[in-house]
Amino acid sequence: MESAFTYTESELVQGLKAKDQKVFGYLYDRYSPALYGVALKVLNDESNANDVLQEVFLKIWRNIDRYDESKGRLFTWMLNITRNSAIDTLRSKAHKMDQKIQDIGDDVHLYTGNLTVHPSVDHLGLSKVLEKLTKEQRIIIDLAYYKGCTQEEISKVLEIPLGTVKTRMRNAIIQLRNLLKLV
Amino acid sequence: MRVDASRFISSGLIEAYVSGLATSNEVQELERGMTQYPEVAAAVNDCQLDMEQYVTLQSKTPPADLKHRIFHIIVNEEAARESGTLTTETDTEEFPETKVYVSSSWRWIAAAAILLLLGSLLLNYVFFGQINDYKGRYEALLSTQNTLASESNLYKTRVEQMEHSMDLVKDPSMKTVKMPGTKPFPSALATVYWNQQSKEVFVMVNNLPEPAADKQYQLWAIVDGKPVDMGVFEMGDHHELLQKMRSIDNAEMFAITLEKKGGSAVPTLDQMYVAGKAS
Repeated sequence: MESAFTYTESELVQGLKAKDQKVFGYLYDRYSPALYGVALKVLNDESNANDVLQEVFLKIWRNIDRYDESKGRLFTWMLNITRNSAIDTLRSKAHKMDQKIQDIGDDVHLYTGNLTVHPSVDHLGLSKVLEKLTKEQRIIIDLAYYKGCTQEEISKVLEIPLGTVKTRMRNAIIQLRNLLKLV
Repeated sequence: MRVDASRFISSGLIEAYVSGLATSNEVQELERGMTQYPEVAAAVNDCQLDMEQYVTLQSKTPPADLKHRIFHIIVNEEAARESGTLTTETDTEEFPETKVYVSSSWRWIAAAAILLLLGSLLLNYVFFGQINDYKGRYEALLSTQNTLASESNLYKTRVEQMEHSMDLVKDPSMKTVKMPGTKPFPSALATVYWNQQSKEVFVMVNNLPEPAADKQYQLWAIVDGKPVDMGVFEMGDHHELLQKMRSIDNAEMFAITLEKKGGSAVPTLDQMYVAGKAS
């Protein structure tokens, strides 16, 4: 079901709203790796990530009428659905806040080892970007984006004052954006 | 660029929004800014595109059978919809829209209560941040203060020790006996201060190598050709000050040898570092 041609974003949205299965197949082929990457990063578990990805594509198919083009791009909308579904699953797995903090703590320790970049995706230059971010910059971005942590939780996990969390995040993202220009 | 728009751009709110860190209040504030200022909307969009590039860098191909599973579900759903047997499964969990009607006076009271609560929460948040900030600064000052106080105590003790040594040296009855290095240790040097009235003896190390942990220097007085033990002394921090040894009435010479810790009954002559005549 590989698509030999590409659609513009508005053609994609129109096709989805018309329940065109060929367009949906194209959407899946084009975006499922990125969305699956998000679910995996959040959950750290392939079986849970599979369930989330299935749920996400069913939501996209069923709720495309609720997508409002004036409020943002289609990919942003799909990413938000994926992040929210994955983080909800993560939270329902870790009932207590303590448990969640514990998990984050464990994740933080993962960062002290080698960068876990899958060799098959590294042609995209991910490791080049990651190795030039400091450990704290990588962690602060990932805790917020992939683990849905609040400013208070980040302040606790990284042991930095609450008032500086946003400043650190701003610096981390500015650094990330500079590095992405080099990829 | 307008002042308000640039305030949004430099506040860190955009980065917080794009990374998912922003609170719902901050999200609302930024979304208002985006509708008001096109440059804010453009900055948010640029930052979002970069974040999405970072996310896309971490792509991974899902298992091949997943696509078939999803298509199986939607194909069945479409077939059911066409035959009219689908029990309209409108998925509302993601976007709940419930409407509850209440009388208008209660609505005003509820609105006022919510506003008060939000105001109080905001103040809590602000004051909590400030308290944390002050606490950090207070602790930093406290530790600096402690460091300064202990340093100052240290200097005070040193000055007192030195004043004491000066007082001893200034005494006109104090005799100085210079002890130069012996042949094996030519650069060694020490001095004995011997009060001719009180007969007290002090030693000052000018230059002696730091002894091994199990060794100590020992001062000897030579009286009628025989060595008399004057006691051992520590190097440590004290080596620049006078250290009080045993008193003695008469002596022809003074010498220092390196001995086992605690001192020896007779001097080890080949470990004699310095020696000097008393008269």
